[in-house]
Amino acid sequence: MNEILIKNGFVYDPINGINGEVLDIAVRDGRIVDPSRVDPSRALVIDAKGKVVMPGGIDIHSHIAGPKVNIGRLMRPEDHYLTNKPHKLPHRRAETGLTVPNVFRIGYEYARMGYTLVVEPATPPIKTRHTHEELDDIPIIDKAAFVLVDSNWLALDLITEGSREFLAAYFAWLLSVTKTYSLKLVDPGSDVAWILTGRGIDIDDQIPSYNITPRDVVREMGNAAQLLNLPHKLHIHCNRLGYPGNYLTTLKTMDIAKDISRLSEAPALHITHVQFTGYKGDSWSTLESGGEDIAKALKINKYVTLDLGQVILGRSATTMTADAPFEYVLYHLTRWKWANADTEVESAAGIVPYSYKKRSYVNTIQWVIGLEIALLTRDPWRVVPTTDHPNAGLFKDYPILLSWLISRKAREELMKDVNQRALRKAILPSLDTEFSLYEIAIMTRAAPAKLLGLDKFKGHLGVGADADIAIYDIDPKELDLSRNYEKFVKAFKKAWLVIKNGEIVVRNGEIVKTIYGKTYYAEPSIPEELRKELDVFLRKKFKEYYSVSLDSFYIRDHELRNPVKIPIETKIKG
Amino acid sequence: MSETKTHGEKAFVLNTGRSLMQGISMEAESKWSEKYFNAVAIAEMNPSDIAKLGITDRARIYNENGSVVLRIRPNSNVPAGEIYIPMGPWANMLTDPVTDGTGMPRLKGTKVFVEQTNEPLTSLIDILKELGAKNLEIHMEDAPVKTGERRTVENVVCPFCGDLCDHLIIEIDGNMIVKNTGGCAISSAKFLNYHKHRVLKPYLRHQGKLIEVSLDEALDKAAEILANSKYPLIFGLASTDIEANRYAVELAELTHGVVDNTSVFCHGPTALAVQEAGAVRYTFGVAIHLADLVIFWGCNPLEAHPNHVARIVLREGRFIKGRKSRKIIVIDTRRTPTANLADLFIQVEPGRDYELITALRMAIKDLDIEAPSVAGVPKEKVLELAEMMKTAKYGVIFFGLGLTMTGAKYKNIVAAIKLVQELNEWTKFGLLPMRGHYNVAGSNQVSLWATGYPYAVDYARGFPRMIIGVTSATDLLANGDVDAALIIASDPVAHLPRKAAEHLSRIPVIVIDAKWSLTTAFADVIIPGAYVGIECEGSAYRMDEVPIRLKKLVDPPPGILCDSEVLRRLVEKVKLKKGVVYE
Ligand code: SF4
Ligand SMILES: [Zn+2]
Repeated sequence: MNEILIKNGFVYDPINGINGEVLDIAVRDGRIVDPSRVDPSRALVIDAKGKVVMPGGIDIHSHIAGPKVNIGRLMRPEDHYLTNKPHKLPHRRAETGLTVPNVFRIGYEYARMGYTLVVEPATPPIKTRHTHEELDDIPIIDKAAFVLVDSNWLALDLITEGSREFLAAYFAWLLSVTKTYSLKLVDPGSDVAWILTGRGIDIDDQIPSYNITPRDVVREMGNAAQLLNLPHKLHIHCNRLGYPGNYLTTLKTMDIAKDISRLSEAPALHITHVQFTGYKGDSWSTLESGGEDIAKALKINKYVTLDLGQVILGRSATTMTADAPFEYVLYHLTRWKWANADTEVESAAGIVPYSYKKRSYVNTIQWVIGLEIALLTRDPWRVVPTTDHPNAGLFKDYPILLSWLISRKAREELMKDVNQRALRKAILPSLDTEFSLYEIAIMTRAAPAKLLGLDKFKGHLGVGADADIAIYDIDPKELDLSRNYEKFVKAFKKAWLVIKNGEIVVRNGEIVKTIYGKTYYAEPSIPEELRKELDVFLRKKFKEYYSVSLDSFYIRDHELRNPVKIPIETKIKG
Repeated sequence: MSETKTHGEKAFVLNTGRSLMQGISMEAESKWSEKYFNAVAIAEMNPSDIAKLGITDRARIYNENGSVVLRIRPNSNVPAGEIYIPMGPWANMLTDPVTDGTGMPRLKGTKVFVEQTNEPLTSLIDILKELGAKNLEIHMEDAPVKTGERRTVENVVCPFCGDLCDHLIIEIDGNMIVKNTGGCAISSAKFLNYHKHRVLKPYLRHQGKLIEVSLDEALDKAAEILANSKYPLIFGLASTDIEANRYAVELAELTHGVVDNTSVFCHGPTALAVQEAGAVRYTFGVAIHLADLVIFWGCNPLEAHPNHVARIVLREGRFIKGRKSRKIIVIDTRRTPTANLADLFIQVEPGRDYELITALRMAIKDLDIEAPSVAGVPKEKVLELAEMMKTAKYGVIFFGLGLTMTGAKYKNIVAAIKLVQELNEWTKFGLLPMRGHYNVAGSNQVSLWATGYPYAVDYARGFPRMIIGVTSATDLLANGDVDAALIIASDPVAHLPRKAAEHLSRIPVIVIDAKWSLTTAFADVIIPGAYVGIECEGSAYRMDEVPIRLKKLVDPPPGILCDSEVLRRLVEKVKLKKGVVYE
């Protein structure tokens, strides 16, 4: 059975401008085809009358695999005790874990919500083989990973020497051998500072042992990303994350987009989990939302995109980030468990369990910031919802997050229980913006596909797209979602039917088949003339810096379950 | 230290550990060899104790667990009142199977009695018989090798210890490995003798004898045993690759059994401590570039990880100019060869590390230590050590089984983690376990991502659980809880206390291994495997959790598959037998 015909559904496909029209969607051999190309007598016909049909959801930033996720699992056994779901073989493997679920639950939980592509946003190069081995074991969804570069000694050496083209060539090599998709900056330069001094730094501080600042790093790496012509340029977690007053650092970082020698009109910087760096005020007790300032800055700066890092109140979290100095500070606030991993030449990571409380002043402000930014900008093509899973919230709570965007009533219900002092300082209670289902489809499908540059075959339902489809049992013509947001949450938590790569994987919110998706990676071209020089450089630096051989660093295609190379024509000159 | 039994014998504290010769003999010959016997069936005592007991060349060593007659070698580095036996079947006859709910048997610090004797030495066969081995015949053969084309492969990765050295240069003639440059003595023994003493055919035990069968027959029988088992143990996995580990977890899930790896008797307690307190880790390169203070605690890398010191301590780093800009401290119960390298050696009384760690935690906070000495260490030395730690720019501790196996076991590690977390208030400091088998760290990683737990994972109820002291291999075997066992690239009979090993004589046992382990003497099905890193490509995780891809250098012997392929086929067969297939 490789032909499916989905009939009569309300289709939401923003990339093709389809807004809730009743249409038939046909699938053949894992792709969307014109309905005339399937034979209704042979095809599996699905009656989606009165239901919502969307492309599979895409999560651009969720920590689902790699060394820090596994340390999270190790140090949080209590996370698994009460969350078990026995297997149902051969359809579904056993599931466990809440904030740091096992690989099976990660894939299944996303699939149950109708998500089919997820990006792991931070992998240290030297441990990226681990990240891939975990990604490979996550069922159903497609994946990609961003590689950490901001504190990379090789890159910083090159920036110091001012070799712009060469830096780009090095990144091209790095992406290709680590099989990753884009460049990630986490608290730029701070892991150098952390490893040498045990502290983080701000955007205009000097990076210890280097004569440059994080601002230089963002700009130069931004320039390299332009030369590389990456579909998703720089993915940035700003400096001073988690400190009151850090919204100023975020504004400064957004501003760097203007200093980058842009070679296209595409966004130059993506600021991730902006909530965590949207703090106004000079202490925790005077903390306020910087959401309005960030929203304003975004409006006048078309080269920046954002994701929210929305806090989910009333949930526990396991914070994990390459922002090791921040985790060290958080550990002093929580005083429970702390894990740190200093990783040679490249980065570090910290992990600290945390819990977001409705009554907490600080946590309420955090919750407000994400929503204010989303509602004030109302720019679903440029501002996408994430929880920075499992940092600000869990990906499994996306339907709840989305309900706060489509329904003022949903927000008001929760506002009754949150810290009122914090609310009084916020403009959120006065906002009456409510997103449409179409806008939700943009934010969770079309926009992330475009931001990743995968919109040719992901994030839409046009002919030729991958047959990743989610059907939700909700009738938008009958139901006022704003009033009935609980029904929306229920429908989006457990999709009625999910098709991945042309196969039915979810029915009535339950997994019916375990399959494995692809891993996308970028392969930017490197001019021949630079290759030799690059090789000499790499040999020298590996001898000097690394405890592994250069050879060990290469991750080959056959090591991955299902790698898909995205070749990129770069603008690097020889 | 010693106490007196009613009828006048002296009790000694038994210490076990790994020696260089043990590693070399095991790899060069086999555990069935004279060389291994000479390296492992031996006890070391302080000369004064030997004189006192009037021991000439051998002694009977015994306690309530068992009794062995061993050659005695004088060694003045062994403190009076203690006796040292290398880890292995002889030591296991004496070690305590009780894990105190930690999954970790008492492999160190057990009380034993020693008396002069003229009785014959206890042979390996004596021990296997006493454990109830099912077959004592082994069909050790050398894989066919031929000289031919000469090749040199660079950046070869060593599949022996947790250092996973990846700078080896291996010279190959035909399919013979003729030279190993860069590897240590154990590594050379492993590569140059890879073809020797192999399991070359699948076997089934039939009427008390091992008979050669086809691979398919062996797999069928293995699948039948697993499919019929109510509660099998799938164990080993530290000396094979990530892929094999994935299938092992799947098998446990399919059969509602348990999957456990050898960390249960090495750094299991370290994992338990991380569950409780977190961790402060670093990769080798961080130590190379920054560590001005290197502490080896309860480990002896010079013998167990021979390249470790050269790779990390002696190498020049970006901010540290090699050995001369680093201070080395060794903390151990005896003066090991590693201790001889140290700027400061601190001898701690066996089983009392916890007290020393606690004192250090107090000292770095300037709290008063009232006792004149702690765990046998004079107070001044404790204070000196604390000061060195606080004033280091970047301090690192590598710790071994001396800390995980003795005294407070995982509580030692919790305390050590907290000590290091606290030291980070003053400076940068990290703590890293010295992992033994080359992929034991990887076993933990796969187990974590697939099940949420690092080892000892039970699927009795169809979802993963880890109940240490219950679902850990030592306990499952010692308590007779499992009704079948699949042992993959590991030798529990060489590592487990006798009470645990004995259970393998009572249940059907499947062994997948490249060589004749002692556990093959308990096997009903033996399936040969090929060596990852020599005959198969595969990935493994270094002790600092850096994943490394091991290379394939030569083809496996005819008809022999990689462990992962054997397990993949086994999974398929078990699925069919259990009807776990899509309609
Ligand atoms: S130290 Fe360990 S990994 Fe390195 S060569 Fe020796 S045995 Fe092999
Ligand atoms: Zn993140």
